Amino acid sequence: MLRAALIIAHKDLRLLVGRSSGLVQAVLLGLVLLFLFSLSQAPGQRLPAQSAAAVFWMASLFCEILVVNALFFVEESQGARLALTLSPMPLQAIWLGKALASLVLLLLAQCLFLPASVAFLGQSFSGDVWPALAMVLLADWGLVALGALLGALSQGQAARESLLSVVLFPLLLPLLLAAVRGMTQALGGPPEPLENWFMTAGAFDLMFTAAALFLFPYVYGGDA
Amino acid sequence: MTHAPRQLAAARGLGKFYGPRLVFKDVQFTLTAGQCLLLAGPNGAGKSTLLKVLAGLIPADAGTCEVQVGHDRLGFLGHVTCIYPQLSGLENLRFWAKVHGLPLDDDALRQRLAAVHLADAADDRAGTYSRGMAQRLNLARVFLNAPDLLLLDEPGTGLDAASSALLTKTIRQARERGAGVIWISHHLERDLPEADAVLALSGRGAPAYHGPASGYTPEACTC
Repeated sequence: MLRAALIIAHKDLRLLVGRSSGLVQAVLLGLVLLFLFSLSQAPGQRLPAQSAAAVFWMASLFCEILVVNALFFVEESQGARLALTLSPMPLQAIWLGKALASLVLLLLAQCLFLPASVAFLGQSFSGDVWPALAMVLLADWGLVALGALLGALSQGQAARESLLSVVLFPLLLPLLLAAVRGMTQALGGPPEPLENWFMTAGAFDLMFTAAALFLFPYVYGGDA
Repeated sequence: MTHAPRQLAAARGLGKFYGPRLVFKDVQFTLTAGQCLLLAGPNGAGKSTLLKVLAGLIPADAGTCEVQVGHDRLGFLGHVTCIYPQLSGLENLRFWAKVHGLPLDDDALRQRLAAVHLADAADDRAGTYSRGMAQRLNLARVFLNAPDLLLLDEPGTGLDAASSALLTKTIRQARERGAGVIWISHHLERDLPEADAVLALSGRGAPAYHGPASGYTPEACTC
């Protein structure tokens, strides 16, 4: 399954990075969000670390939504989904491939969002950076695991599928809270033990991964 | 001692509803290796739906459907071209070869493209292809893994006369190596001679005709 997932991820990265379709808009949206929040401050004013961390993760979340939409749209435009679902690879490999491609693209976008947070929101990485980086990776996996499942749902046209997206969306909140806590420390916020937040993020990662592996064939298989 | 031809697909009492609307019922047929079954009938009679049921894309509501071919040996050509417009024709085929686990290098893939008259456009973006060229690329994809069972939904769509002849020749070659073909066609005068049997759906329940192609006359069919 991993080999098949890598084939999907490689093709998707070629399409979105090599041909710039969809990625530029996603990154620009995040950067615009960070810039707009910078306008809310008076000149020289510094946004609290926790607020800046929240803005960073909002930018990441919106970017991820656009990325997964773009990743699944490439399968819909000429009906390639039909051939994919009838190929010998397990349907879960499509989810894993989309999630891996999405993870790479999200990390690339965050490499731009981090310096933009410093520049626009007046932040500095004066706190403990390593736990924050570990939290970024944990939170990113949760985002892309659920994002790839939601992306498949969002391609459906039935109202029940849209409703499912709305129902599933709040599931990301605990993960985002953990991510904001981790990032707050890296930006020099008040120190606090992060063990529980790591456990929360890890638990949600496992839950999202298991749910996606189980649900994806039902969501994406069948009549294209 | 002769062996009975391998059975590839069979349907017994197959029925399908879309909500309260009956699409078809009592569909029965058997397809063996090398056979070609032509699906005929008016628009909305359920031909494409029957093909999707056989491919396992949608479930049947009645009867049984046995397809003895796995996804790795199935070739399905639907109404969509299944191409990635941002990739070249060669890149498209390379991707599908990898998906099917076929060890085909670029030279072999270019030969496949040449076989569908796309040699000169192999490195062009598929998004710049005409409808007919995209359909020929789609055909190259479908025949890439030398499938044992071909489910073809109006494969001649968008093809000119030369490409249609190429399609007929390719299907004939596939049958010669033992592939079974279920083929939806609206060009019965042209495609009927290629078929062994015809299943004509009426759109009003039971099939209007099922039998040898030689005994089928579209005019006599009430559908």
